[in-house]
Amino acid sequence: MKQGKQVLLSCLLGSIFVTAQNKQILYDFTEIPQALMINPGMSTDFQWYAGIPVLSGISLQAGSSGLTVNDLFADDGVDFNVKVREQAIYGMDIRDELSGAYQVELLNGGFRGRNRDNFYSFGIYNEGDAIGYWFKDYAILAFEGNADQLGRRFDLGHLKTRGEMLNVFHFGINKRVNGALTLGGRAKIYSSAFNFSSTNNKGYFVTNEGQNNLLANTIDADLELRSSGLNEIEDALDNDSSLLPGILTRRLFFGGDLGLGIDLGFTYKLNKQTVLTGSLLDLGFIYSSTDVKNYTVKGSATVEGVEVILPDAFSSTNDDFWQNLVDEVEALVPYGTNSNSYIYFRPTKLFGSIRYNWGEASNPNMDCDCNYMVSKRKDYTKYANGAGGQLYMINRPRGPQAALTAFYMRRFGRAMALKTTYTVDKFSWSNIGLGLNLQVGPVNIHVMADNLLAYGNLADSHYSSFQLGLNIISWGAK
Amino acid sequence: MKNKILLSAFFVIAFYSCIERQNFDQYDDLEIIPTVEASILYIESPERLLNEIPGQDFYSQDYNFDGFSEDVFSERVLDGFIFYEIENTTSKEMEATVEFLDEGGNTLDTQYFHIDPAPTPLVQLQVAYGTGRSIEIIKNTSSIKVSVRNLGDNSSVSSLPDPKIIFRSSGKFRLRLK
Repeated sequence: MKQGKQVLLSCLLGSIFVTAQNKQILYDFTEIPQALMINPGMSTDFQWYAGIPVLSGISLQAGSSGLTVNDLFADDGVDFNVKVREQAIYGMDIRDELSGAYQVELLNGGFRGRNRDNFYSFGIYNEGDAIGYWFKDYAILAFEGNADQLGRRFDLGHLKTRGEMLNVFHFGINKRVNGALTLGGRAKIYSSAFNFSSTNNKGYFVTNEGQNNLLANTIDADLELRSSGLNEIEDALDNDSSLLPGILTRRLFFGGDLGLGIDLGFTYKLNKQTVLTGSLLDLGFIYSSTDVKNYTVKGSATVEGVEVILPDAFSSTNDDFWQNLVDEVEALVPYGTNSNSYIYFRPTKLFGSIRYNWGEASNPNMDCDCNYMVSKRKDYTKYANGAGGQLYMINRPRGPQAALTAFYMRRFGRAMALKTTYTVDKFSWSNIGLGLNLQVGPVNIHVMADNLLAYGNLADSHYSSFQLGLNIISWGAK
Repeated sequence: MKNKILLSAFFVIAFYSCIERQNFDQYDDLEIIPTVEASILYIESPERLLNEIPGQDFYSQDYNFDGFSEDVFSERVLDGFIFYEIENTTSKEMEATVEFLDEGGNTLDTQYFHIDPAPTPLVQLQVAYGTGRSIEIIKNTSSIKVSVRNLGDNSSVSSLPDPKIIFRSSGKFRLRLK
C-alpha cells in the first residue's frame, strides 16, 4: 500500500507538472477528429463525428525543466539536504519551471455542411494549466539567509507564476478553399472558474553596511498577485467542501469570469505530396471581475534598526521606538489588497509543420461514402508514409517557449495509423513520442504518449504527456 | 499480421514504464536554517550634551524591542551573536551598560563596556547566544536598556571634529524554518 502511494506520488510529481500543452503527436494527425482542435484549418474529409462525452479527448501533460523527482528522492544514500542544495537551490535557473496542463473534452462533435467544402465542429472542453518559474533568489534567501551577503541583491522579480481552470465553449468552421488550401477558424467563449497570476514583480532586498548603524537592510518592492475566484473556493474548502462542486460548476458554465478568443489555422499543399500547415490558438482574453482579490506590496525602505539621536530623542523618551520603526516600514512598503477587475490573456500557442508524403495512396479516387475517411476528392488522398517537421511555440510569463519536432507517420490501410515523434525543447533533448489511431468498426480510438525513453524510470523524467480519445464515427453519408 | 505485431509493440512500450525506488521519507530530513542579520540599536550623542548634563549618570533609557520576542523569531531562533561597536571621539571616559529585559522588566543579561577618552580605538564586542550564553535570553528579551555614565568631567572638549559617543549594535542569528 505504501509502495502504491509512492508510485502514485512519483507519477504525480514526476509528470503532472509538465511543459506546456504541446500536442506534437496529435498535431496534423488527420485521422483523428481532435486534431482539428489544434489546427482548425486541418485538411479533413470527415462526414461527421461525435466524441464520446468526457472520453473523446483527455490529455495530461507535466514538466519540470530543472529537476526530477528522482534527483531529490532517489534512494541513493546522499544527504537530502545536499541534494536540495545542489540540485534545486543552486542547480536550477530562473528559467526553469514546473508546469502542468490538462484538458478534458466534455462534448465534441462535427459535421459536414450542405456545402461539402465546409466542415463544422463544436463542443465544450475543460482545461487547466499552471506554471511556476524557479524563484531562485527567494529560495536562496530562505535557505541561506542574508548574513555575510553584503551588497547582494536578492531579486524579488524571480517570483513568476500563473494558473487557471476554465471551460471553453467553441464552434469552428473548416473550409476547403480549393484543392490546395484549407482554412479554418474557431470562436471560443471562455468561462473561468479561477485564475491567479503574479508575473510582473520587480524589486530587490539587499543588506549593506549602514550609514549610521552596522547594517542597513533595504527592500525595494513592486509585487502583485492577482486572483479571481479563489476566495470563495478557499472558504468552501475551509468551511464546507460540499459546496465546492456547485461553485465550480456554476463558474464553469457562464457563472464566472467570461472571455473571448479565436483559433486560426490553415493547410496548404505545396504540391501533390508536400503539405504546409499552421495554426494560432487561444488568441483571446478573459475579464476577471468575479471574486477578485489582488495582493500588492509596493514601496521602498531602508532599516538600520532603532535609531536614537540625542538630544532630539530627549523630547520623545516615552515613544515606542520599535513600534515607530515598524509603522514607518509599513508606511513606506505598504501591503495592500484590492478587488480591482482585470483582463488577462490566454497563453497563445502557435503550431506549424511541413510534411512530405509518399508511398501507397490509401484511398485514391474512391467514390463512395462508406467511411468518413473515404473521400471523393483526389486532394484528400492519404499516403502510406509521411515525414516532416513541426514547430510549436507558446507565450509564457518569461517569454515564448519553443519546441521542434521531427515526425514520421505510417498508415496501415484505414484501420490503423501510427505517428512517432522526436521533440527537442527546454525539458528534454531525447523526447520520443508515439501515437496510435485505430478505427474499429464505428469506433475511433487514439492513444498517445511521449518521452517514452523516460518510461524506464518515470521519476527521473523531466516531461511526460498522455492523451487518449474515443469517438463514434458514422459510416453512412451525411 | 503486421498490424498485430505493431499493435502489440505499441502496448508493450506503453506499459513497460516503471519507477525506480524513491524514498519520500527523505523530506523529513530537510533542514532549512538560514542565518539572518540586521541592525538592532543605534544611539549617538554629541559631547556638548555630555557637558550639559551634570553628574555621572548621563543617560539611561529602556527601549521596547519586540524583534526578538515576535513568534516568527523566538520560536525559530537556534543561536547567534550580538555585535556591539562603540565609537568615542569625545574627551570623556565613560561606562556603558546594556541590559536585556523581559516583559516584566527583569534583567536577563547585562553587558558592560568601559570606554576610554579619545583618541581611542573602536570598542568592539561579539557576544554569543546559544553557543555561549543561553539563547533563552534572546527569546525572552522584550526591551533593551542602555545606560551611560560619564566618568570624566563636564567641561572638556575633544580636539577631534564633531565629537560624539556612538553606540552601534547588530544581531546575526540562525533560524530553523524547517
